[in-house]
Amino acid sequence: MACSHEYYKLMHEYLDENMPLTEAKKFEAHMQECPACEQHLKELKKTVAIVQSASHFEAPEGLTREVMNQLPKQNQSQKWQNWLRRHPFLVTAAAFFLVFLLSLSAGFDGEEEIMVKGDGHFIVDESRKVVIIPEDSTIQGDLLIRNGNVEVNGEIEGDITVIHGEHLQASTARIAGDIEEVNNTMEWIWYEIKEFSREVLPFSSNGEEE
Amino acid sequence: MDAVVKRIVREVKRGNQEAFAELVELYKDKVYHIAYRMLGNAHEAQDVSQEAFLRAYTNIHSYDENRKFSTWIFRIATNLAIDRLRKKKPDFHLEDKVGGTENLDYYSQFASEEALPEEQVVKLEMQEWIQQEIMQLPPKYRSAVILKYLEDLSLKEISEILNLPVPTVKTRIHRGREALRKKLGDV
Ligand SMILES: [Zn+2]
Repeated sequence: MACSHEYYKLMHEYLDENMPLTEAKKFEAHMQECPACEQHLKELKKTVAIVQSASHFEAPEGLTREVMNQLPKQNQSQKWQNWLRRHPFLVTAAAFFLVFLLSLSAGFDGEEEIMVKGDGHFIVDESRKVVIIPEDSTIQGDLLIRNGNVEVNGEIEGDITVIHGEHLQASTARIAGDIEEVNNTMEWIWYEIKEFSREVLPFSSNGEEE
Repeated sequence: MDAVVKRIVREVKRGNQEAFAELVELYKDKVYHIAYRMLGNAHEAQDVSQEAFLRAYTNIHSYDENRKFSTWIFRIATNLAIDRLRKKKPDFHLEDKVGGTENLDYYSQFASEEALPEEQVVKLEMQEWIQQEIMQLPPKYRSAVILKYLEDLSLKEISEILNLPVPTVKTRIHRGREALRKKLGDV
């Protein structure tokens, strides 16, 4: 009790819903009188539903790492170039110094954490959200503080950037570069555009950039 | 999403290798899923997924930013999977390969709790059966069906991924689901 090949072809168009309305109506009328077509369509719909119920698999763990490990190794100068591109305004000083990244949770009510980037000795007072550069300390290169204030008693050989915070300087402070405070959204966006990639990126990759 | 992807791609093109990890993260599940459904084997699916990303990386400069990245990476992955199927015995999909180790492999896709409740077992068996039937399809129908019904892509996207005209894609989907109907439709 099969129907004609023509009708089965039409049925797929009908199922895809890209049939002109008049044709669709004609086909529906045919189905009313043709149990074979009706059954066939029912089976097709069921098949689609079953296939669509197939579960989705996730990639095995570690796939990203595997891929990254297999990428062609970049030589030192390529890495250096990338780094320069990402940090055009940090170029002069930072590359020759070890840079420490210190990230501390402020601890209270989900406030944003203080982040400090700089090379040298400093103290972080979490409760007051202040980064203190002691009098006898020298920060080689630039200093970046995010979500906190900075109190400078010692020496900064580069620029200071404070994002969401303010700076205070004691009479003993010696700051060689510029001081920039970024406290409103527009300034912050501009800062981000200049910096471009996330501030921690080059320093978080196992010290490869040294 | 597209803007984010664009930004990452530009970074990679500039030589920022680390940024590529973000692309892998974004697309690994879908790529793996397509590969798995094409090949029916977790190990090979992983191989093909990794290879696809490696190729994407080395050919990133030929990627046209005006097109969707997903289309591009899916195309690489699908081609690799089809190549791999070709290298196997040509009548692979008609043969007794279904069953045995393939089953185990399928179960291993799921976190293996010690004893599965009855309901879970039935569900797993159902899932396994679907995959077996997909594997019975000739690869050219299989790819079209997977992209259409498992990835829910438009005919236009599928035609770009498979590099075929839309009417051809349609025909393949029709034939694929007709073949599946014979197995799945009369339960
Ligand atoms: Zn009929």
